[in-house]
Amino acid sequence: MSQPLLEFDRLRVDFDLPDGTVTAVNDVSFTIYQGETLALVGESGSGKSITSTAAMGLLPELARASGCIRWHGGAGDEDLLSVSRQRLRAIRGNEISMIFQEPMTSLNPMHRIGRQIREVLHKHTALRGRSSHQRVLELLAQVGIPEPERRIDSYPHELSGGQRQRVMIAMALACEPKLLIADEPTTALDVTVQAQILALLKDLQARYGMAILFITHDLGVVRHLADSVCVMQQGKIVEAGKTDTLFQSPQHSYTQMLIAANPSGRKEAVPNSAPVLLKAQNIHVRFPIKKRLFGPNRYFEAVKNIDLTLRRGQTLGIVGESGSGKTTLGRALLRLVKSSGDICFDDIDVARLDRAGMRPLRSRMQVVFQDPFGSLSPRMTVGDVIGEGLRVHQPLLRRAERDTLVIQALEEVALDPAHRHRYPHEFSGGQRQRIAIARALVVKPEFLLLDEPTSALDRSVQMTVIQLLRDLQQRHGLTYLFISHDLAVVRALADEVIVMRQGEIVEQRDTASLFNAPRQTYTRELMRAAFLESTA
Amino acid sequence: MLSYTLKRILQAIPTLWVVITLSFFLMHLAPGGPFDGERQLPPEIEANLMASYGLDKPVWEQYFTYMGNLLQGDLGPSFKYKDFSVTELVAQGFPVSLELGLWAISLALLIGIPLGVIAALKRNSSVDYMVMGTALAGVAIPNFVIAPMLALVFGVFLAWLPVGGWNDGHWKNLVLPVVALSIQQIAYIARMMRASMIEVLGSHFIRTARAKGLSESEVIFRHALRPAMLPVISYLGPAIAGIITGSVVIEQIFGIPGIGRYFVQAALNRDYTLVMGTVVFYGGLIVLFNLIVDLLYSALDPQIRYDNE
Amino acid sequence: MIMNNTTLTAPAVGNSLARDAWRRLRQNGAATVSLVLLAVISLVCFVGPWLTPWALDEVDWNAFLAPPSIESGHYAGTDSNGRDLLTRVFYGGQISLSVALVATLVSLVIGVLYGAIAGYFGGRVDNLMMRFVDIMYSLPFMFMVILLMVVFGRNILLIYAAIGAVEWLDMSRIVRGQVLALKRREFVEAAHALGVSSFKIVTRHLIPNAIGPVIIYVTLTVPKVILLESFLSFLGLGVQEPLTSWGVLISEGKDMMETAPWMLIVPSAFLAITLLCLNFLGDGLRDALDPKTR
Repeated sequence: MSQPLLEFDRLRVDFDLPDGTVTAVNDVSFTIYQGETLALVGESGSGKSITSTAAMGLLPELARASGCIRWHGGAGDEDLLSVSRQRLRAIRGNEISMIFQEPMTSLNPMHRIGRQIREVLHKHTALRGRSSHQRVLELLAQVGIPEPERRIDSYPHELSGGQRQRVMIAMALACEPKLLIADEPTTALDVTVQAQILALLKDLQARYGMAILFITHDLGVVRHLADSVCVMQQGKIVEAGKTDTLFQSPQHSYTQMLIAANPSGRKEAVPNSAPVLLKAQNIHVRFPIKKRLFGPNRYFEAVKNIDLTLRRGQTLGIVGESGSGKTTLGRALLRLVKSSGDICFDDIDVARLDRAGMRPLRSRMQVVFQDPFGSLSPRMTVGDVIGEGLRVHQPLLRRAERDTLVIQALEEVALDPAHRHRYPHEFSGGQRQRIAIARALVVKPEFLLLDEPTSALDRSVQMTVIQLLRDLQQRHGLTYLFISHDLAVVRALADEVIVMRQGEIVEQRDTASLFNAPRQTYTRELMRAAFLESTA
Repeated sequence: MLSYTLKRILQAIPTLWVVITLSFFLMHLAPGGPFDGERQLPPEIEANLMASYGLDKPVWEQYFTYMGNLLQGDLGPSFKYKDFSVTELVAQGFPVSLELGLWAISLALLIGIPLGVIAALKRNSSVDYMVMGTALAGVAIPNFVIAPMLALVFGVFLAWLPVGGWNDGHWKNLVLPVVALSIQQIAYIARMMRASMIEVLGSHFIRTARAKGLSESEVIFRHALRPAMLPVISYLGPAIAGIITGSVVIEQIFGIPGIGRYFVQAALNRDYTLVMGTVVFYGGLIVLFNLIVDLLYSALDPQIRYDNE
Repeated sequence: MIMNNTTLTAPAVGNSLARDAWRRLRQNGAATVSLVLLAVISLVCFVGPWLTPWALDEVDWNAFLAPPSIESGHYAGTDSNGRDLLTRVFYGGQISLSVALVATLVSLVIGVLYGAIAGYFGGRVDNLMMRFVDIMYSLPFMFMVILLMVVFGRNILLIYAAIGAVEWLDMSRIVRGQVLALKRREFVEAAHALGVSSFKIVTRHLIPNAIGPVIIYVTLTVPKVILLESFLSFLGLGVQEPLTSWGVLISEGKDMMETAPWMLIVPSAFLAITLLCLNFLGDGLRDALDPKTR
């Protein structure tokens, strides 16, 4: 193939922390060739981002790097870990540039975007005045910003997340770098936007002939984009190779697990004869956006007249991008936000009940939230968190009896019951999510609202949580309303799917036919983006 | 921008009105009259006096008279300094207080901001600990302790500078009061600047700026400094209020003929009109400076929208 | 990011945030020293007057403006009326510290109630209540307090009330912000979903989680209050004879500083050390309760 461009040679990064030294990257060696795309894949904490920041010389102060990072893109061969600061600055943004995961905060909020792009040109090229202005406009057009003449004077807060990422890309490409490091550039974006950005990167790579070091946790993206792959786990590269070979015959067990960690299997459908558990009609939710002291408020319609029916034992998936109203709909069904319309739970008209009337029903309908860090009170022990529902619904229980039930619940979600005296901050994300599930289960619900319960977790952890949810559903005959933006997960779990957009239902069908033959354009677009099928 | 400015000015008016009205009625709630002084005045003389100051009229009428006069810049007569109106006394003292205050706020910014930036850049070093330790002391120790101490050391023991007096604003007379007045604000601003600088330096757009290949000084001066200054700018309102309040003590300690000293004497002499006039004047000043600071802030931060809020 | 899962090697008994915070506070040298010093100062102020051989307004006719000396029993000298300075500083400390406690309590109660109500109900109630606070903020409060003292005379209860009334504004803002943020947290929603009553949600979920910032703010309010009281006293608008306070003593000392500098230095030192310790303690508590800020 072509010439090597960047070689990592036994890179090691240590962090000197107060409690001792932690090795974040250990003995990492790999090579990126000119014009190719290399994906560095791993879950959180694998050291993939640290590896890439080491090449840019942007490691945090506490980090110490050793080994060698050879750069062949400049005049001669250089070790990026030992070149002078001055040389490093001449490389950054010029020969190697970088885009980041956080498009919302990666641009300086106080400067117009034109100025921020121009700054790179002024730093590394001789372009000034009109010619640099021209080049900025050209770049903005290339990354697909509409009306560059107008947008050049925008501030970052006037742009959407996708547009900001486009500006970041324009900035990175300004000096036509030989290597672009993209650190999870699409993770914070909606799937349809993600697909657009990836297509843009591919297109620009062809145009500029640059190499891309793509850091991601998402194997779908890797397969779609990369020529070769390095898989990282706990600071080490466990497997490397060409994308096709690696996906076809993964050697290392971790790679195998990662590739397998795609939600598979389908749910067995519930017969139509199953009794209806939850029936909602004309659910409408609106929020005041502009609160006025006097006079009428202005409203944002989050959910618009939605009907749905859930049978016992069924899983209904609700899919949509951010702002589609899916979360609000879920909360309205549990009467956690105010809504209009009818909600019938087991033939009880819950929409008319007041707080006190609702209380006995609460144990029958429970919820698990997305954020495993925000959904547990940091000042209560895990035992207290799980036991709280019992205090409400079985107030006559003695302490020991309650403790027994808490232990049972923890065992059911496969956590060590001895941990019930600990506080939430002592657990990992996946464990916290299990605690949240135990809190819901302990009151013996029939219906469980699962609001993106796996979105904040690593893929491998996601799989275990999904398996747990499946087991629990079978064991207890639970009915799920599963809200997610992740179509793969929904496909694996749901009998029926509702696709939502801007508060409305776009399409509602049984899972198999929806995924096999989506009828609506938006659904098709969403699926193409999610499964990264080629748009051509 | 213009409509935002107008709106902020309109918002300032009720505040001022509350200050004036509250002060007016508080004063009239005071037990006893202004002439209950040392000697009992004959009743007819007191009645005359009351009439000449308009004090025999109903309170609400006096209130409207006062408001009317106020709109024309007339704060009424002083009860104790019989030859002067309150407006004249304020007008006499104001230039002196203003000079003192401007020096103090400039010093606070000129020293506080760089100190904070240096501490942030040398985070957790001995320089940082030293600056921040001193700053905490500066925050903690009140100016009415610092001022006499400074006077004791530099005025009495070392005899380098005069212990008091104004001397038409000679620099030697200015040094101690300005320093005493600004120390607390220097300390506050330094602490605030350090905290916000550290936060900004850790933010993603600073990482972007470094990834562009900018030098460290370009990163700091072009990208970090302005956003890091925003909290300090919004603190300027309270800082100015603090300096105005502080000047009351400092002027008294150093015997400086500004409004602050009149204010204390008037308070002790129960010269109600003068106290009230000063409160109204100070109130207006603080409201005005808050307004200026707000406008300055919105000019510096593009994320503030003037039209929609 | 780098240290995931290492947390589970912790001992079987959980570490509550409070215990963690206490441990971190004790590791902070300056804060620990401050805590000890504050305890000593409070003790000395309330017990000290019985240990000195002089009463508060007892005049030693042999010692006017006497410098500090061990033999005469005036360990910190006397004032121009021949009264023992150390005894007066102790009594002044009692006033200053008790004003601090009472006024802080007043501001705490008003601020927490006001802020919690505004935050919990939200919407128009919140809007209206906070608009009021905004207006109060822009008032030149120090001057209003002074006007109050001038008009109603110097009354210690009035000082408590006036200072408490000034300081609750910040507290109410902090509590409101906390409550608003916590209300949207998912664990509060989970509690609603479990059918936990409003009262229990407030007492079990909102208050325990809002308490950290409130504690931090209280430790920062105490020195502010002491400062305000001594400021008023310094201007001659605070407590009256025969009572005294550190502010009064500093004011007296300032007038005599050329002939009897101890009259300025001793009370100033007491006031400065107390304020410094309180600030160090507040800073230490903030770092201990919210380790991210460091």
